[in-house]
Amino acid sequence: MTVEDLLRQPPYSLPQADKERILLAELTSLHHHHRRHCAEYARVTEKLFSRNTDALTLAELPYLPVGLFKERLLSSVPKDKVFKVLQSSGTTGQTPSRITLDHETALLQTQALACIMTHVLGPERLPMLLIESPDVIRDRTQFSARGAGLLGMMNFGRQHCYALDQELHLRLPEVRDFLARFGKGKFLIFGFTYLVWSAFLEPIRSLGLDLSNGILIHSGGWKKLQEQAVTAEEFRAAFRQTTGLTGIYNFYGMVEQVGSIFLEGDDGNFYAPTFADVIIRDPQTFEELPPGQTGVVEVLSLLPRSYPGQALLTEDLGVVHAIDPPGGGRLGKSFSILGRIPRAELRGCSDVIAAQVN
Amino acid sequence: MQVQSLFPAQGSVALEELKGQVSGGNVNRPFDAGVVEACIELSQRLLRDRDARRYPELLALGFWMRKTELHRLQQQFDQLQREDRWLVPCGTVLHLPPRNVDTMFVYSWLLSALTGNCNVIRLSPQRSESTDMLLRFLSETLEQASPSAKQATWIVSYGHEEEPTQVLSSICDMRVIWGGDHTVSTIRRILLPPHARETVFADRFSLAAIDAASYLELDQSRRSALAKQFFDDSFWFDQMACSSPRLVIWCGSQTHAAAASADFFPRVNDYAVLHQAVQPAQCMHRFLSSSLAILDRPVTNYRRFPALSVLTLSTLDKFDRSHPGGGVFFECQVERLEEIAPVLRRRDQTLTWFGFPGEELRKLATSLNGRALDRIVPIGQALQFGRFWDGNDLLQSFCRQVFIGGIEPLLPS
Repeated sequence: MTVEDLLRQPPYSLPQADKERILLAELTSLHHHHRRHCAEYARVTEKLFSRNTDALTLAELPYLPVGLFKERLLSSVPKDKVFKVLQSSGTTGQTPSRITLDHETALLQTQALACIMTHVLGPERLPMLLIESPDVIRDRTQFSARGAGLLGMMNFGRQHCYALDQELHLRLPEVRDFLARFGKGKFLIFGFTYLVWSAFLEPIRSLGLDLSNGILIHSGGWKKLQEQAVTAEEFRAAFRQTTGLTGIYNFYGMVEQVGSIFLEGDDGNFYAPTFADVIIRDPQTFEELPPGQTGVVEVLSLLPRSYPGQALLTEDLGVVHAIDPPGGGRLGKSFSILGRIPRAELRGCSDVIAAQVN
Repeated sequence: MQVQSLFPAQGSVALEELKGQVSGGNVNRPFDAGVVEACIELSQRLLRDRDARRYPELLALGFWMRKTELHRLQQQFDQLQREDRWLVPCGTVLHLPPRNVDTMFVYSWLLSALTGNCNVIRLSPQRSESTDMLLRFLSETLEQASPSAKQATWIVSYGHEEEPTQVLSSICDMRVIWGGDHTVSTIRRILLPPHARETVFADRFSLAAIDAASYLELDQSRRSALAKQFFDDSFWFDQMACSSPRLVIWCGSQTHAAAASADFFPRVNDYAVLHQAVQPAQCMHRFLSSSLAILDRPVTNYRRFPALSVLTLSTLDKFDRSHPGGGVFFECQVERLEEIAPVLRRRDQTLTWFGFPGEELRKLATSLNGRALDRIVPIGQALQFGRFWDGNDLLQSFCRQVFIGGIEPLLPS
């Protein structure tokens, strides 16, 4: 079974054992594909993983540190086949990741996202409220991951309404107008977690707007919200109590594997779709950890063909809760992300004060 | 502008006021009894304190400045004195120690204070636990010390502002910058009084050399002991101290080198895992920097252990001295030690060694003729601070030399 076959099936329909068999074969062939087409990948994986035989389990497959995409532009397609280079938004002072896409991989990403979204949204395009300012996608030559993510999601909506202005203030009249027209039927809300909380929910809390027919998809991590001590439970509860919104789905994903997202189930855990998976590794030994134990998250995906990003060791901590959990309607691994690995500060002689003398 | 005063007063102090205080500070005679007494007291506090015992670098400092060592230092100083060339303190010394080698500010202060100088030390507002502990010990000691010692030290803290460094520089007779190249060049742009001098300790690179055959002749316990000493050299400051080894040279046949390396690094790792918490972020950092090294350097082999990674190089030609720290070791095999001479550079500071006759090490130093290496010490002594550092004799660096001509030689009494 190929990735195209998997994308035609429901995203959580394979028992883990069957899925692993398919992923192992496909990821092994992807590994050889990138070895042939990306010299850097071939050299790094040959040295990092000295085994000469094919992997017998998913955990044995070679993987790259995700940070490598911040340092190098790794590509498995000739220059003239590059369709666009995705760049992570990156917080200030951080080097952004750069990801090379050709048409084939870009198409796979779109199909993959559709496969997953259909699961919660149904087959129809829905009226869509974007918790964003139109500016984020205005300049299509400068592709930020945030813009790319937004464009990707916009495919699942129609009658798009931007809820925020340039300064990220709420455009209340437009939101009221949108709800008056579409609020009686099913509609989609999409945005980045922090903006959804601070720029959308905060200003509408006391207005009594009815969002009960909405489905909220959000992503982007809890770091900023954790600083304000907002937990996932409070986030859900606040929406439920002030707007009646209950269909809330967070997802875990990254620019290095666009399209290959891990969407929250009704139990609040993330689930891996058929064409992707997670492995939790011991941070010291890099050995795979069993469910219940916290470790570093490795993400696997069948989508990356134009760049060697099919197996990446992230800098996130996570824990697998269950494999093929009963009752939730989703097969595969369910897991949680517990945030970034705490930064280590190296000691040493260099860097004393370096005052900026200009 | 206000800066944070940490000693003698605690709290905010106006820069102008601080300037006035420091200008009126004490310049003592070298090895003033009160100053020596305070140093001995500080050493005893460090060696006695239970909290300090958790930090090997604090113990090493306490041990290095214990009473007998200070007396030895005093004797060495006395021997440097000549009747026609007298060593006197520079005057006021501004110390800019590195933020992350916690003990450095005390080493710098100690040699300067012992030789009689008045001192201003700038510490970063972000201080590690052990720096704060050391600061407390030093403050308490000076608080109870004789006026000569007490009125010759100011410790302040401020961030990346230029103004305090400018003001303090304007009243000092000597400035000492411990730190990276970037810091050195940034601070150098701040003017000193015309007569003042400056000693800087820039970014350095250090390496270890092991004679593979000698290593293989060691019994199990001696091999482990050497691995422990190598751990001390490398891991106390996360391999970021200038004198910590980042490259290991195996001397001897390829077979011996491979066998010795295969035995040695697992021992270092075992010791590290037992004696220092392995931080997940550092493991990720090592994995990424190893990947980059594989792309950029002639790496033939990579070994990953929980506490460290080893990257074997096929050649040292054009060896890039940039280094991520945190337990990444490059290694390379050569037949004989002298083969490394052509690749050594000015930037190379400490060579820690095992298994070579003294004659071979001296030959290396002679053939380099000042082009590289300021210290050649046995493995285990990389971080052992001494009066000779980065090519300086610090006992003399903190002094001016007064020439007294036309006088009768003293008659031996």
